[in-house]
Amino acid sequence: MHYIELKEIDFEYEKGNKVFENFSFSVDRYETVALMGPNGSGKTTLGKLMAGILKPNKGQVLIFNKDTNEIPLHEIGSRIGYLFQNPEKQFFANTVYDELGFVLKIKGYDEEYIKNKVGEMLELFQLKGLEKHLPYLLSQGEKQRLAIAAVLINEPEYLILDEPTTGLDKKRKDILFELLNMLKNRGIGMTIISHDNRFVERICNRRIYINRGEIQHDERA
Amino acid sequence: MTKELNLDPRTKLIIVLCLSTLGIAIKDLVLLSIVFLLSFMVASLFKANLKRTVRKIKSLLYTLILIALVQSIFTRGESLISIGSITILTADGVEKALQFILRMAIVIFSATIIGTSSSRSIIQGLVQWRLPYDIAFMVALGIRFLPMIRDEIKDSLVAIQLRGIDIKNIPVKERISLYSYLFNPLLIGAILKAERLSIAMEMRGFRAYGNRTSFLVLKFNNWDYIVMFLSIVITFLFFIKGYI
Repeated sequence: MHYIELKEIDFEYEKGNKVFENFSFSVDRYETVALMGPNGSGKTTLGKLMAGILKPNKGQVLIFNKDTNEIPLHEIGSRIGYLFQNPEKQFFANTVYDELGFVLKIKGYDEEYIKNKVGEMLELFQLKGLEKHLPYLLSQGEKQRLAIAAVLINEPEYLILDEPTTGLDKKRKDILFELLNMLKNRGIGMTIISHDNRFVERICNRRIYINRGEIQHDERA
Repeated sequence: MTKELNLDPRTKLIIVLCLSTLGIAIKDLVLLSIVFLLSFMVASLFKANLKRTVRKIKSLLYTLILIALVQSIFTRGESLISIGSITILTADGVEKALQFILRMAIVIFSATIIGTSSSRSIIQGLVQWRLPYDIAFMVALGIRFLPMIRDEIKDSLVAIQLRGIDIKNIPVKERISLYSYLFNPLLIGAILKAERLSIAMEMRGFRAYGNRTSFLVLKFNNWDYIVMFLSIVITFLFFIKGYI
């Protein structure tokens, strides 16, 4: 059984303009997959289909063997962490602290646990001192780090990261690499959508090149 | 197969103005239904996206029904439903509720006609009607911002659910704070976007010169004159005949 499986799907944003046609693809639980391809090739759309954010017009997307049309998004979200291409899209809180801690609060964790966990993430992603800042007003690199931290604080079992290295300098890319590598070693699978070939080649053991909604190469290291 | 009508955006504005005026002014239910059908037919002729509009109305259905019910409850007249001596629903109230629903439908369906022109041509139409360019541009920006805000609310809700939160099943207190959380970044985001947009506009020479020339110049054709004439005459006829 595959962890995420797309079975002969068709997808279009506008009628008559198909992004995917009869497209099949699957990833396994512990795989680290790189999704590469030119702009407009369908990488982000594929990521959103894999996370259940978009639903196919035809065919099935199965996540943990359940059709995404039948599983509520929060159930997927409790197991899969999704990083948006534009980090601003996933911010909803008024402060950096709340962006990280609010979800834990809703889930019923106590204040002490939340404080420690948030502190850990702030330290790890070098966001200390920005706790009371509005996420929208951070620099691009800080926004990206906060968005990744907000995904990881949930401790998902699988990650779908859309352009995680955008806006990060070399030092922070290295930190992110170390972190993702650590998660990989802990058994957390991931799909990374990226143009940063060097970054994904270091971390991923499967590389997929897509263009115009079709898989051109699927290589396993 | 219906052929798409290719009319000037100003003609479309006149049609919408006439239909909305009739929709708001007419009280008779039969006439309102006729105006509603007319709006629907005209919107179809312009190949407006009626499916999307019907979907939008569906999502507003509960609100519309609630407002209609409140109107019908608070209108005096011949009692239809009553509990003891307290009248719950009156015939006049039901009529008012139906009027309200038809009016809303007329306004929404006729507004889709404007959507069949690009925002650029609408601005040009307004400018050629001697509306200052700055104001016409602001109107177009306002129109552009509304769907953006709607999309941002949707994105935020998706983002919250993707963090594993079941919005429908969280305690009321948390749900209220969640919605307040949604509102502030939305407002701040809109202000920031407006600020960035204004900077981008200035950088591209917006208002650098007193007079603007335009590559796009709209011209009425014969059909525009005929349609405008008919729209205005029909609207006036309703007034003269005393239907309003």
